[in-house]
Amino acid sequence: MGKYLIKRLLHGAVSIVIVVAIVMIMIYGMLNRDLIFAKDTTYTHQSNNQKTTYMYSKWEEYGYVDYVPYADYLQELLQKGEIDEETRSSAVSLGRKADADSEIVQEYVQKFTDYYESQGYTVTRLEAVTRAGRRIADGGQPQLFAYRDIPLLGRLWRYFTGLITIDKTSYVKEDIGERGISFTLYDPAYGGKKFSPAILGNGTKHKYLLYCDSNFPFIHQNIATLNLGTSYSVNTGIDVFTTMTRTQGSYVRSTITYPSGLTEESADDLHSATYLANSLGSSVVYADRFVDDYTNVDTVKNGFSKVGYSFVIGLISVIISYLLGVPLGILMARKKDKLVDKLGTIYIVFIIAVPSLAYIFLFKAIGGELGLPTTFDMESTSKLMFVLPIVSLALPSIADLMKWMRRYMIDQMNSDYVKFARSGGYSESEIFTKHIMKNAVIPIVHGIPSSVLFALTGAIITERVYVVPGAGNLLTEAINKYDNGVIIGVTLFYAVLTVVSIVLGDVLMAMVDPRISFSTKDR
Amino acid sequence: MEQEIAKLGISEEELFSRVDHSALDSEKITAPRYSYWQSVFRVFFRKKLNIVILAILLFVIAFAYIYPSITEYERFANLLDSTAKHLSPAKAIKQMGFNIHWILGSGAAGQSTFDAIWNGSRISISLAFICAAINMTIGVIIGSVWGFSKKVDMVMNEVYNILTNIPYLVFIAVMVMLFSASFWTMVLALTATGWVGIAYFIRTQVVIIRDREYNLASKCLGTSTFKIAMKNILPFMTSVIVTLLATEIPSYISYEVFLAYIGMGLSEMSLGRLIFEAESAMVTPGWQFEFWSPVAIASIITVVLYVVGQNLGDASDPRTHM
Repeated sequence: MGKYLIKRLLHGAVSIVIVVAIVMIMIYGMLNRDLIFAKDTTYTHQSNNQKTTYMYSKWEEYGYVDYVPYADYLQELLQKGEIDEETRSSAVSLGRKADADSEIVQEYVQKFTDYYESQGYTVTRLEAVTRAGRRIADGGQPQLFAYRDIPLLGRLWRYFTGLITIDKTSYVKEDIGERGISFTLYDPAYGGKKFSPAILGNGTKHKYLLYCDSNFPFIHQNIATLNLGTSYSVNTGIDVFTTMTRTQGSYVRSTITYPSGLTEESADDLHSATYLANSLGSSVVYADRFVDDYTNVDTVKNGFSKVGYSFVIGLISVIISYLLGVPLGILMARKKDKLVDKLGTIYIVFIIAVPSLAYIFLFKAIGGELGLPTTFDMESTSKLMFVLPIVSLALPSIADLMKWMRRYMIDQMNSDYVKFARSGGYSESEIFTKHIMKNAVIPIVHGIPSSVLFALTGAIITERVYVVPGAGNLLTEAINKYDNGVIIGVTLFYAVLTVVSIVLGDVLMAMVDPRISFSTKDR
Repeated sequence: MEQEIAKLGISEEELFSRVDHSALDSEKITAPRYSYWQSVFRVFFRKKLNIVILAILLFVIAFAYIYPSITEYERFANLLDSTAKHLSPAKAIKQMGFNIHWILGSGAAGQSTFDAIWNGSRISISLAFICAAINMTIGVIIGSVWGFSKKVDMVMNEVYNILTNIPYLVFIAVMVMLFSASFWTMVLALTATGWVGIAYFIRTQVVIIRDREYNLASKCLGTSTFKIAMKNILPFMTSVIVTLLATEIPSYISYEVFLAYIGMGLSEMSLGRLIFEAESAMVTPGWQFEFWSPVAIASIITVVLYVVGQNLGDASDPRTHM
């Protein structure tokens, strides 16, 4: 069993990599890159060479190309200590034309060209754009840069190797004093008096590597972080995983003791502190509160995360639909061709045939008439706002379950073992509960992990119609905003869920039905 | 024994009479003539409900194609007339005079909702039929090969795992951005991966009946695989295919509505786009008609298509022909 499952999961992993590769080819290779500038006002305000370099720098941010301007190259040489500041400043000023460069500029331009062309980059030099006189036009400064399209394999490699980052004490590049990891029984975030074990790092990205608090699952870690892909336009600079899991809503203030000893009402979550270079000295606010450069903190908010809202709504509706759909399907099968069966069939036909948008709006209109809140409001404490989204999600899945449960029951009803049981003198209800149902629920059980896991992804239309701040619209939003990082991240997330839910479904089915076995030995 | 015969009141000669062997009679088939499709329609039309629904379906489709081609519809004809916008049916009829155009009121640009709906329906129905035709053809062909050959099965299972894991929205977005959101782009986007699900379904059905005894017997007798596929398996699949078609066609209409609603639909004024653009009218008192009429028409079309298809699917199952 274990061996088989590992094989299945490995198989799934290969499929996932291929899926991500195909989506990468589609969005990086096939889409028109200029589209990202369609709504960009900065782009329209620029002109000449500056516009060109702006385009390349944006393309780099969106992940299309590797782009290195000449000035950055020199800066890098300076940081490596290969050249000094004086050489850099004289080498950086390009002439208006290539042959107008001074000797030192020519030397470094040559080095730059040789270095990057050997790595497969295209080196482009834009000569100065001048106006009628000798003056340089707006944005017409000469430019030199190297760029290359990121090759697919390189992109895949980069993506999957960067998927999980383990925090290291060598993360911080600047001088930070003694690097290391320390263990304490009294978490300083609680004022250092309450018993609460924590592991703190110095030199790592996160200050708290492991800590405890009162929220589920009580012990939290920051050692390994998941990077599904950095968002560019949906939630600038934030990883997709964080976008999906970060809490939303309004701030929750509580009394907090900062590392400096200052006590204040604040929503800051000290456990989320990450390193921000030279931040302590940059602001009085930080200087008052912190003692080191770990000043970048998240805030505590009262709502759920995007995934949280989707999951709460999705999970409740999944539970409701199994609790209602399965018994109703059984009832329909028992009363086949009677009134209950006919009414159920009408309902199923309605749900399958009518566009989902139509009945969701219908539920919204009916719910509104009944006085239920039709839009979601994170500030509201009323639980009633969950009702309509849950109902809208549950009703179609109830219909689906009813349809299949009825089908499987009726199929089983015609089988020989049922006739045998009947001839043996069992009562109808005994046959139904002891024989037919046990066999009919097996395929239904297979779908449970998938419906639970896919509650995480949210529902596109339901969340839009009821303005739920869930994860369902992340993909559509990313597509509309050309946010490639998010598209890839969400694709990976969905693909992993599919693979895991199918395997879990098989496991669950094997647990329910002893006849099903995955290991070759048992056969 | 004789007493019992006497009880029935029939003479012994009537009960038992000698029949001579006739070479001519033995060549006759005594079972009633059986034609598959005739029986399908006989069973289908036996239910009165089916006749009514089929009539509605034919009427709706005919109306969607004929009405827009014989009437002039100009969406922006009344654009400058501020009194013509967002009228309820009663007001529109009062203002414009009684005319079939105004029985559902007018929309945001002063256009006739009724005309807009039928123009939209024509686009949506065409899209659904074309996509279903393409996907079903490709899906059934590939699905039967997939089910038959074990080698193809291994490859195709992987292809299926991969293709179904690519979010279809990404696919559609790429297509729309590459070729603009025209009708044929949408057809391409919906058919590019749409056949996979159908092929997988057909594959499963083929696998189920492939190894049945009668097929094994055929194989042992030396029937070619092609002939087994055409003569033994395809007839068995007809009802499955018709039932599948019944869910596929309306699903494309629903899907088009869904895509339009999330802003990835057609640029033409299909039913989905009409619903999408009238969404704001739903919450405005007095304007609801603009929103609910396309929704209602879309629902009627899909329900009727679905019911006809399902019942035709039931009728095409030979087991119901008794």
